[in-house]
Order: sequence, then C-alpha cells, then structure tokens
Amino acid sequence: MAVYKKTYRPYEGELTSSWLRFLVIPRYALADLRSSRFLSLFFIGSFIYPLICALIIYVQHNASALGLLGVQGARSLISINVTFFMNLLGWQSMLALFLAAFVGPGQISPDLANNALSLYLARPFSRVEYVLGKMSVLAVLMSLMTWVPGLLCFGLQGYLEGWQWMRDNARLASGTFFSAWIWILILALLALALSAWVKWKPAAGGLMFGVFFVAAAFGAVINGVQRTKWGSLFNISHLVGSVWVQLFEGSKKTTNGAVFFRVTAGEGIPLWCCWMALGVLCLICLYMLARKIRGVEVVR
Amino acid sequence: MDPVIELDGLEVRFGNRVILKRLNAALTGRSVGLLGPNGAGKSTLINTLLGFHKPSAGTARILGHDIRTQARAVRSLIGYMPENDSFVAGMSGVHFVRLMAELAGLPAAHALERAHEAFFYVGLGEVRYRAVGTYSLGMKQAAKLAQAIAHGPKLLFLDEPTNGLDPPARARMIQLIQEIRDRGDLHLLLSSHLLRDVEDCCDQVLILKDGNVAAFCNLEEERRANRRFLELETRGENNGDFLEAVEKLGCETAPGAQGRVKLVLPDGLEVRRLYEIAADQNVQIRRLNRKRDSLEDIFLKAMEAPNGRL
Amino acid sequence: MSQTQITFTNVSRFYGEVLGINNVSLSIPPGITSLVGPNGSGKTTLMNLMTGLIRPTQGEISVLGVAPDHPERLCRMAGYCTQFDAFPKGLTGHQFIYWFLRMHGMSHAECEEKTAAALERVNMTPAGNRQVGAYSKGMRQRIKLAQAIAHDPQVLVLDEPLNGLDPMARAETIALFREWGAKGRYVIVSSHILHEVDQISDQVILLSQGYVVAEGEIQGVRSEVKEQPMQILVRCDNPGGLAARLFQDRHMVEAKISNDRKGLLLRTNDADSFYLLLNRVVLESGLEVESVAPADDDVNSVYQYLIGADGGTV
Repeated sequence: MAVYKKTYRPYEGELTSSWLRFLVIPRYALADLRSSRFLSLFFIGSFIYPLICALIIYVQHNASALGLLGVQGARSLISINVTFFMNLLGWQSMLALFLAAFVGPGQISPDLANNALSLYLARPFSRVEYVLGKMSVLAVLMSLMTWVPGLLCFGLQGYLEGWQWMRDNARLASGTFFSAWIWILILALLALALSAWVKWKPAAGGLMFGVFFVAAAFGAVINGVQRTKWGSLFNISHLVGSVWVQLFEGSKKTTNGAVFFRVTAGEGIPLWCCWMALGVLCLICLYMLARKIRGVEVVR
Repeated sequence: MDPVIELDGLEVRFGNRVILKRLNAALTGRSVGLLGPNGAGKSTLINTLLGFHKPSAGTARILGHDIRTQARAVRSLIGYMPENDSFVAGMSGVHFVRLMAELAGLPAAHALERAHEAFFYVGLGEVRYRAVGTYSLGMKQAAKLAQAIAHGPKLLFLDEPTNGLDPPARARMIQLIQEIRDRGDLHLLLSSHLLRDVEDCCDQVLILKDGNVAAFCNLEEERRANRRFLELETRGENNGDFLEAVEKLGCETAPGAQGRVKLVLPDGLEVRRLYEIAADQNVQIRRLNRKRDSLEDIFLKAMEAPNGRL
Repeated sequence: MSQTQITFTNVSRFYGEVLGINNVSLSIPPGITSLVGPNGSGKTTLMNLMTGLIRPTQGEISVLGVAPDHPERLCRMAGYCTQFDAFPKGLTGHQFIYWFLRMHGMSHAECEEKTAAALERVNMTPAGNRQVGAYSKGMRQRIKLAQAIAHDPQVLVLDEPLNGLDPMARAETIALFREWGAKGRYVIVSSHILHEVDQISDQVILLSQGYVVAEGEIQGVRSEVKEQPMQILVRCDNPGGLAARLFQDRHMVEAKISNDRKGLLLRTNDADSFYLLLNRVVLESGLEVESVAPADDDVNSVYQYLIGADGGTV
C-alpha cells in the first residue's frame, strides 16, 4: 500500500514550439466565443448572401432550372462579373464590420481591466505575439466571412464555366483575396486599438461604427463646404473602395466600387493617396496598441 | 554556489531620472528578501528583471542567463506573483491558470493537469471552477500564486504576497511560502514591507535605498551571532531587585518595549545563573527570548547610512 | 449619551438581506482601539456607521454625544481614512487636502496653514505639488492619512492605514497614533497585522461574521477566555525530562513535544505556579533553556480561539 500526498512537483516535460505559441490565444478566444449564441447565429446568418450568390451562379448554368423559374432571358439579367464579386465582397465586409464591433471590444479590455498583461508578458511571450494572437481571432472569423465564400463562389463559377474562364478572370480571385485581407487588417487593428483604449465594451463597439460613418459624414461635409475632393480622405469606405477597384480591375475602371464602398465620381482622389491614408490609419492603430500593451504602466 | 540572481552594474533610467544606480550584488540563497522604503526601486528592479524595462547600463543574470540578451529564456524560468490584482475577467480559476500555463509553453494536456494541481496546492481546490472575479481577496492572492507555480518555474518573484490578507490567510500564505522554500528546487525573491514576513521566509536580505544597495546580509548568520542578546519579562519581583542582581553579574540591561527588559549576557555567563537569582527571589521569568529583531535593526541601520550606501 | 465615549447600542446594519453587523453594543473609550477580524466581518461597516456615512437599520449610535444624523457636527469631530484607493481626478496632493478643508468653512489662510501642517506630519511636503494619480501606493496612503488628520479631529477612524507603507513609514505612523492616543483622542484602527495590534493598542475589538466576539484590553480579554488553559512554549535541550517533571504539578493539563525535539508546548491552568516550578527545575536538573514565551497571550491567539481559521466569509 502506498499513501500519496498532493504536493507541488516541478515540470520536466517538453515545451510547445515557441513560434506557434501565439496560437494559444485564438484557441481560447474562439472557444469562448462559441458559447455566445447570438454570435453563432450571426455568423451563420452571414452566409446567407454567399449562398444566394452560389445559387444564382448555379441557376445561370442550369437551363432546366431556368425553365422551371420561367425566366428564360434571365441569363443576361445578372451577369457574373466584377460587379457581382465586388458586391459580394462589399456586403460581406459590412457584415464583418458588425462582427468586429461585437467581438473586438472584448478582446483586450478584459486583460487590461485587471492588470493581466503583466502576467502575459512575464512569460516567454512578447507584445507582438500577443497582438498577433488577438488579431488572429478576428482574422479567422472575418476571413471565413469574406474571402472564403468569395473564392468558393469563384471556384463554383469556374467549375461550371471551364478552365479558360478561370484563367481569364483570375483577377477576380486575387482581387477578392487581397481586398478582403486589406479590409480585415484595418478592421482588426482598429477593433483592437479601440478595445485597448476604451474600457466600456458598448462604447468601443459604437466607436467602431462611428469611425466609419461619422468620419465619412465629416468627409462629405468638407467636400461640400470647401468644394474639394480631399475630404474623402476621412471616408474610409471611399478609400477602401478605391483600393478595391484597383485590385479588381487595375487601370480599366468600369465600376464605382462595391455596395457600401462606393467611390463617388468627382470625389475620387489619387490612388496613392488612398493607400497612404490607409497605411497611416494602420500605423495610428499600431501606435495606440503599443502605448497600452505594456507590462507595467510608467507614471512620471 | 552559483548565484541565482547576479546584478552587474545595473542602471535603469526613466527619462532623465536614474531609478536604479549601478547595482551590484550576487544573491545565492534559497529565498531572498527584498526590502526598502517606497521609491527605493524595488518594483523597478523586479520589473527590470522581468524584462518590462530596459536597463540603460550594466546588466543582470538570472540563473546564468543574461537579461539583456536572453530575455525570453529568463522569462521561461520565472514565475511572477504581482502585487496588484491580476487576472483575466470572465474566466474560471482553472481556465485562467491553464491559459497562463500554456502561454509559458506547456502542452495543453499537461497545462490542464498542472492547473488543477496548483489550485489544490494553494488551498483553492474547492473554488477552482468559479470565476476569478468572484473570489475574495485572499483567494485572488492564492490564485496569483497558483498561476505563478503552475508551469514549474525555477525562480519565483513574490511581490507583497500577504497584502490585505486577514490573519488566518496570512498564516496560510506564509506557510505555503515556507514550504516552497524548503523544497529546495524553487528559489524565491520576496519583496515586502512587513519585516516579519521577510524574517520568517528568507535566508538573505537585499535592502535598497534611493536606487542603491543599502545592505545585503545573511539572516542565518545574523541569528547565530545574536545569541548573547536576551529579552526578559518578569513578574513578582520587588522594586527592581532582580535587575540589580542581574546587573551585578555583569550584564548590561536596558528597558525594552511592553515592560520587558533587554540584556546582554557577558561571555561565560549562562542563562542558568539568571534562574538561580529568580529562584532566590521567587520571581517568575515569564518570557525569555533570544533577540528577534535583528532584521529591524539591520534595516534601520541601513536607512541611516548617508547616500544610501552602507 | 455619554460625552466621553463612542457608544453603539443594539446597532444592526443590513444591506438588503446581507448582514453587515448584528445587534452590536460597544463603548469605546479614548486611546487607541483596534478592530480585528477577518475580511467581511463588519469592520468597514462599523467604521462607516461611526462616521455617519451609512445609517443603522436599527439601534442608536452616539459619537461623543453627537448622533451621526448630525453630519455638520460629526464631520468636524471625526476624520476617516478609508481602505479604498479613490481620489478626485486631476488634483495634486496639496489641492486634495486644501479643498476638503475649505468645505469645513475655514478661511483661505487657515486652510493653507492646516494643509501645510498635515503634509508635514506625514512627510509629504515635497510631493504635495504632484498629482495624486502619480503617487505610489505608499504615498497615496499617506495623503489619505493627511486628509483625515488635517482638521484636527477628536475621533480618528482608520481602515487599514498601514497597508502599503514601508517599515519606516509604519513606525512613524504608529508614533503618530500613539501621540494622539496619549493626547486623549479616540483612535480607531483596523488591521490584519496582529503583532502590530499587540504593540500599539490599548483596547481591542474582535469581530467575526457581523458579531462582536470580544472587546476590552488585550490582557483582560485573554484571561476571560477561561475554557482554554494558558499555553506556554519552552525551547530547551531536554523537553521530555522537563515534561516529566512538570506533570507532577497538578495544574498541568497537556504537554506536546515539538517536531525538532527541542521544544515543549504545554498547557496549564495556573501559569504562576508553573513559572516558579520552572525556576526550580532549571536549577535542579541543569536544563539549558533557549527561550520561554507565553504562546497565547496576544491578539493572535485570542483570534485563533475566538474566531479561528475559518471564521471569515470565504
């Protein structure tokens, strides 16, 4: 017989890989988010539009289905082209904004509220890994909402139309992918920066919307009052829309951006300004994060 | 014996103010106490060793690893129990400690096992599934200790571990710390304002003042050296007859706190002689202590030295 | 209504259904009185009642003849240093004390003088012009204390005032309390550090779970706990022999040899006869005594007996 006592024992086992350690954070965060029913429903609901798009693509190629619906000439009504994919991306990206406003504020503020950051950073874990981990949470969710359905629809269309169509329209795929990532990057950084600076979650969420809509209104006012086009620098959806147009179409512009991301004619600003403005926004967010994410507050 | 923490001309500045002024020390004990008045730089020292501040000059080595060049390796050996409330809101105790252990590099399954073990060890077995935000102050302190030991560090930094605890919780925390110290495989650095805590738990003491090392001493040696100093409390004596008789034997006496008497036994005189006198005069020796306040004296001496250097 | 005491008469305070304190009757004389008890036992409730911040659900309170529902008079007489760390944002230490003094209605010159005196008393004069938000924990503690003493109150109520202070500041603050106690003021201190409570207080009040478990002078309280024989710890080289010899005394109740076999913890009903017996044993058997100390003559042991390790709310 032996009697065992509960005591402390040192750890002699293996350690996980240092590079992948930041993935611990998204694992935990996603597991916690799964428990929110509202979020799960919202997430599932965000696939409705892509599903409709896929249906449209399918119906377009299926003559018998067309006959069933009695819309013989509908083939020409909805054409699967740049506008189609850009609108898909635009709509999903707006939903991603909602998601970021719900999920984002709860990422960093609980850690800062109770001084947990000094515990995170007292481990072999750096600030960069921390931010990367938190961004991954948002990036995973938003990717699943934006470019993944977009690419799947592209794949479906390509499968039905043939290899040649895919080669000709490869720009649609790359455009979807990169445009979505630019949007995801901006949203994630903004959401985390607001979460780090604003303690009250509803306020942080509201600010996310505010940054887009209020700033856009502000930009429009400037444009109107000063009769200039530079007010559009404040209009983030305008900036993103312009960038998207470039990624999707290059120099042969036929569209005015996507739904919600309209590039109003006459108020367009040079493309490099758009890129610069977005870059500056990202840098501001990174600076905000760097100020708040520290092991210890230094008071002078 | 290899030093656990070695300070090598360590200097830390905030802007233009120099907070730590070229500290030099080699700490080798199982358990080292860190003392000093407010503003002496204790928290700054701990934060620098943890890598939260960059030294402006000099360096320090923890278990042989340089904190400037091997910061990550250093942090994988350390467990930190901060002074302030530290937890992630909305998580249960076990969930929180699991997360912390995994971030320190433990694989998921081991992290879960050790999180439970750590909770039982610190005495929070019953409440480990409750949200940490609902814990009382004593439980939060114990939870902080649990997250500090769960990943099996080699060196523990404890910053005011008994802060705000009521007497039984304090006694439990001190007991835990003493157990951890006595194990031998885990070193401790204890920073506290309570001299008694440091006396009970530490072998060596580093005293800081104004960013300098004011004193560094070995408590064991001090205690052994104090055997000739006694503190006495008597009852039943008549008008100081006892004290007179004791003084005649060659002891120096002085009044102490709470009506007690401090005396110094000259070499060659045994305690037995005091009892002889007591028996003769029918006096009770109610209290007889070897001098306990060595740390308090060391601390006060260190504070009085000019420029903070002893 | 005594003019020279702080009295509680059958006072209860509930927060909805939750118990703060239940049916407490106390009478606090001048000098230093310590409130001791686990977290959640009602110490802060008692202090808030004393300073008029909350009203009792039942019962009457009188602070030197003034009831707490006369805050005009009570606040001039009482100073309160809470355990919580909260300040109006943006004020410097000097402004913090100055503006609270102005609310007492004193003139500018008088307030300046008193503010300077208070800052001087707690050694915060050089730091008085910095923002309170930039203070370290110990400095914030001292500024709270300064604000409590600035208007020279008769009654000083302090909730864990030494929390966060370094050993020298502790000693200085304790000296301040002793000075006030000696002047005949009423200093009510709550603390968890029992050996300090032993050193500084004249009276002690033990609270547990909302009830007053004991009150009075420490020595007196111990001797009241009659169910427990006196415990004495003797460290010597032959505890077994000592125990054998002591058991011949009919007052000895229990003897326990410590784990390192160099100590004897004994319990006896008559401490006086034990000590005289010890004298004889040392001389007759040549026992080498390392130390002798009553093991339960202090607040710590009284606490253990009356409140115990689990007396608090978890």
